[in-house]
Amino acid sequence: MAVMGTFAYEEDFLNAAENLTSSGFDDIALLSPLPLEDAQRALGLGKSPVRRFSLAGAIIGALSGFAMAAGTALVFILPTGGRALITLPPFMIITYEMTILFGVIFTLLGFHFVSGLPAWRDKPYLPSANVDRFIVVVEGADSEQAAKAVTIIKEAGAEEVRHVEDSQ
Amino acid sequence: MPMMFDHGQPSYADVNKDILSTMLVTGRGYWILLGCTMSMAGIFFFMPWIYQLFVGVGAAGMNRNAVWGTYLSNFIFWIGLSHSGTLLSAVLHLTNSPWRKAIYRSAEAMTLFSLMTAALFVMVHVGRVWFVHWSFPIPNQMGLWPNFRSPLMFDVMAITTYLTASSIFIYMGSVPDFAAVRDASSGIRRRLYTIFSFGWRGTAREWHTLGWAYTFFAIFVVPLAVSVHSIVSWDFALSIVPGLHHTIFAPYFVCGAIYSGTAGIVTVMYCLRKFLHFEKYIGQVHLDSLGKLLITLSLIWTYINILELFSTWYGATSFEVEALKFRLFGFYAPMYWEMILFCAFVPLLMLSRKIRLSWNKMLVISILINIGMITERFIIVATSQPRKFLPDAFGFYFPSWVEISITFGSFAIFATLFLIFIKWVPAISLYEVKETLKPLRRDS
Repeated sequence: MAVMGTFAYEEDFLNAAENLTSSGFDDIALLSPLPLEDAQRALGLGKSPVRRFSLAGAIIGALSGFAMAAGTALVFILPTGGRALITLPPFMIITYEMTILFGVIFTLLGFHFVSGLPAWRDKPYLPSANVDRFIVVVEGADSEQAAKAVTIIKEAGAEEVRHVEDSQ
Repeated sequence: MPMMFDHGQPSYADVNKDILSTMLVTGRGYWILLGCTMSMAGIFFFMPWIYQLFVGVGAAGMNRNAVWGTYLSNFIFWIGLSHSGTLLSAVLHLTNSPWRKAIYRSAEAMTLFSLMTAALFVMVHVGRVWFVHWSFPIPNQMGLWPNFRSPLMFDVMAITTYLTASSIFIYMGSVPDFAAVRDASSGIRRRLYTIFSFGWRGTAREWHTLGWAYTFFAIFVVPLAVSVHSIVSWDFALSIVPGLHHTIFAPYFVCGAIYSGTAGIVTVMYCLRKFLHFEKYIGQVHLDSLGKLLITLSLIWTYINILELFSTWYGATSFEVEALKFRLFGFYAPMYWEMILFCAFVPLLMLSRKIRLSWNKMLVISILINIGMITERFIIVATSQPRKFLPDAFGFYFPSWVEISITFGSFAIFATLFLIFIKWVPAISLYEVKETLKPLRRDS
């Protein structure tokens, strides 16, 4: 069972989030129509693993970019004025572009991996969370925990509290 | 955070209603305008191109001396116009500038559509467009791979990367807004936006991940944008043609690109404000900031132009001086001086705050700047190649009706893409505008 509390005011929503986390609820989703640093802090979200994807992508891109340029020069030999086949100045440009290309693509993959999107299952949600309401969802609660969560959410000033099904 | 709104602060619900209504409600005027731009694109761009495909690139005015013409000068122009969108958006995101939030989505779209238009010019220029895949590192029937030592291949890699990164940048920034469209619509549109939004709910974890990813996109995009126009400049500067072989070309092109792109943003913002009724969201703070940026860029651009003249005069190489004389006093001299007037002198009017805060005057200035910038690109191509070294290699280039028509038609293509965009993506970011609003408090 999940408990869903809807708030009209950001401050009440943040109070509810902090009170729930300090009461030991750890399976909480905080839905808001805009990014709120305080909400992220209440859930203890620090540095995102997305940055590791970006770094890995950049490194793979750099290596594969240089390998592609140098490999092509070695396979299709095109001597130019006695110069070296593997010439750093032009190949570094290809390396540079591929570093960025793979960095961006891996960052995108990182976003999907870390955020869990695309969402393949229905999850508790109200469309007003994308307009002007702030919603706290407490998931995986038994009846006793759910009652406690309802009390905390109501005390924080929720305009509506409802019981919904957990993620399906 | 400065006050962003000229007409009082809207509520969160107002933001959704105002911005989504421009997508969900379509008047007759929109369809007429779209029909006009599509027809113009067909008549002025695609029909002459088809004609050129049948008769060959001889239909263009290019010749033995001037093997590059209007197609490539337009290519540089459109690549340049693409620069301010994503670049400005990324820089302002990294510096946390609040005035970015209402204008960046459309600016990024401008980047994307300018790039697409620029890519079309490459296809028009190469003549046999069905062989264009030979420039990509993919297996082909010839068993050959591209020569990565050529600046043209730098271009292919840079523009492909820029197009990919810009598309991802604008798409990822739009995901929360796609969810808002999903919730506000029904039927097939709702199903489509359910897919587009990946099931976004707006949880703290989703916002947190998007924030990090978006910042990394911005970090990647800034050096990428600088590299793209530097590389475009090397298409010219790495040749030994007088008038092109200048070390200043990379910063010159990058500065010019940001300059014309910023002017393009002013033009697009004017249209959005006027025709989509975004007066509430795009205000004088945006105009003032863009005006100040344009003055700065204009001064840098002027400085680089003076430097180019000085270095040629100081170098005193006969063929460089000849190319310069042709540029300053030859057949295309009126266009050169028109460029100087529009890009170096007219922008100085914006030193007056009164002019900077006038939408109509800023629209005129922004259009004049871009006329100057498209002229600049034409002059770079048209006055250098026909003046190569010895007089017996001198020639002349003048665009044919096919090239002039295709140039005109490219603006119709850009306008068509933009008109389609405003019906598929919220032209202003909903959530970023909400970030600039003071939160509603219980005691307020």
